[in-house]
Amino acid sequence: MTGLSLGEKQFIQGGIAQDLRSDGRKRLTYRPIYVETGVIPQANGSARVRMGGTDVIASVKAEIGRPSPLQPNKGKVSIYVDCSPTAAPMFEGRGGEELSTELSVALQRCLLGGKSGAGAGIELSSLIVVEGKVCWDLYIDGLVISSDGNLLDALGASIKAALSNTGIPRVHVVAEASGEDQPELDISDEEFLQFDTSGVPVIVTLTRVGRHYIVDATPEEESQMSSAVSVSINRKGLICGLTKRGGAGLDPSVILDMISVAKHVSEQLIDRLDSEISASTVSCSISQCLMWLENVLNLLSSLATQIEKRLMI
Amino acid sequence: MRGLQLPLTQTQKVRLQRALEKLEALLSKANSNASVTVADTIPVNYDDAFLKGHGTTEHNGEVVATVCGVVERVNKLIYVRTLRARYKPEVGDIIVGRVIEVAPKRWRLDINYSQDAVLMLSSINMPDGIQRRRTAEDELNMRSIFEENDVLCAEVRGFQHDGLHLQARSQKYGKLQRGQLLSIPPYIVKRQKQHWHYLEEYGIDLILGCNGFVWVGEHVETKDEMLVDQDKPESQTSKTNDYSMSLESREHTYTPLETRQNICRIANAIRVLSMLGFIVTIEVVMEVVNLGVSQNMDTHEMLGSEFCVLVAEREAERRSQKRTRGN
Repeated sequence: MTGLSLGEKQFIQGGIAQDLRSDGRKRLTYRPIYVETGVIPQANGSARVRMGGTDVIASVKAEIGRPSPLQPNKGKVSIYVDCSPTAAPMFEGRGGEELSTELSVALQRCLLGGKSGAGAGIELSSLIVVEGKVCWDLYIDGLVISSDGNLLDALGASIKAALSNTGIPRVHVVAEASGEDQPELDISDEEFLQFDTSGVPVIVTLTRVGRHYIVDATPEEESQMSSAVSVSINRKGLICGLTKRGGAGLDPSVILDMISVAKHVSEQLIDRLDSEISASTVSCSISQCLMWLENVLNLLSSLATQIEKRLMI
Repeated sequence: MRGLQLPLTQTQKVRLQRALEKLEALLSKANSNASVTVADTIPVNYDDAFLKGHGTTEHNGEVVATVCGVVERVNKLIYVRTLRARYKPEVGDIIVGRVIEVAPKRWRLDINYSQDAVLMLSSINMPDGIQRRRTAEDELNMRSIFEENDVLCAEVRGFQHDGLHLQARSQKYGKLQRGQLLSIPPYIVKRQKQHWHYLEEYGIDLILGCNGFVWVGEHVETKDEMLVDQDKPESQTSKTNDYSMSLESREHTYTPLETRQNICRIANAIRVLSMLGFIVTIEVVMEVVNLGVSQNMDTHEMLGSEFCVLVAEREAERRSQKRTRGN
């Protein structure tokens, strides 16, 4: 990103202090969010989320695997993010690797909870097929196509949308096995179980500039930040994860204040995301209906004009 | 369509499609025989001597276009001008650029061109306004005039042996502060009589750089510096204050909210126009701003899908009205 002159920096800081940012948004307003689900047909679930210039795709693939012996009643989920070199000039070559690992770790912390699996946003015990022997492994991959600030929130939203689009094939156990043997399985190609995403959290990143916090920062605003706190909150208002970036130190009271602001913002964000996700899944059929209706209306209007002409003559 | 990034509902898509089709229909009535695509033959009178310029080639005895664009004829030269080309500087263009390097006796600027432009120390007015020879001390103090990442407004002087040279000799040119810089595709800023606009009712400067950089900022009074000699020590102390000001005192110098609101509205209007690919002139920008105000839209809603569709429809209406008035 090119640098900013002193006058531009002061303009950005002044805008944030006066609650009127460079594009007219208030401090706690998100840019228009555009969600598309089912963009990758080969994956079990996928979604593409656009927030302003930021464009990310998340895909979910499910494979049969063995649960870890330490947690025999839980499935496994792994999250990996890749920043494409085309996303921003600084990602050229291997420049995006550091950011990729940082985002992957932050997402794992926000969505999967601690090492023991406690406090996970994604319900891992629902991925079990046969306890101790067979479970589903979910591989969640995120790809950043275009970076225009606020990558973590966009990735969180796209993973939530992808999970709501995910269909896990129904598995029947054909033959029971004893001891260490794997049971025989029949994986259905037709029937799919929708993944339950009511408990999946969203991530809200609050960027601190001066004395105020903003949500959904653009790259120019991010360059002025002193620190940023990303909070992942689920629908019940419970915090599933917390990450802090930036070199400046924060007073504990400031962090508690940021968490309460994030909770307030997350309610609107969750509602908006849910409506966008359900709209994107329904939109295909509605658009076909509307096109059909439009054709019918055009036909009728042309018929009407013809009849008029006939009547006048 | 047109790679729009916005979430459009089905009705909005239909309305937008209709408005764009209406605009295209108006365009096709213009002289379409001038536009060519790759491998189209260019109608030429072969008896006259003519020169083949950029974008043309000889093929099977015919002059054929190698790019998509409009055929231009200047005396005996025939060339094809592409519509969405990279910015091509011409002498006298007003541009907005960003300083990327302070070099001996010159500044290098990024102006959205394939080369960096050069602004010589001798091509600017000294801060004290006196016309004099630049000394070595002036050269050492260059950074106090313009630093890295500063945004400047200047005029293209011409191509010299070492690159593109600029000049900033008038009072209107110089450092731009207290505002925001937008980057739009260069082909939607057409060359006009005035690029530097002062909007009195808002107190805002709007500079439409030909290179696609647009500056929207607070108005700065361009005083005649010969008369303000006694204010010189004042201006120097205010410069050092910028760096040592505390947060609270800096807040007092922030742009007033009313002006900021107008700056954001105008900036959003330009963003919407650049997203739709419409030509940006001061009249169109003011119309879009007034449309937003009349619709009682919040400033940031101007970047939403509904306003985008409204702007497209309004533009189609305006052009068809202009055409009927012209005929």
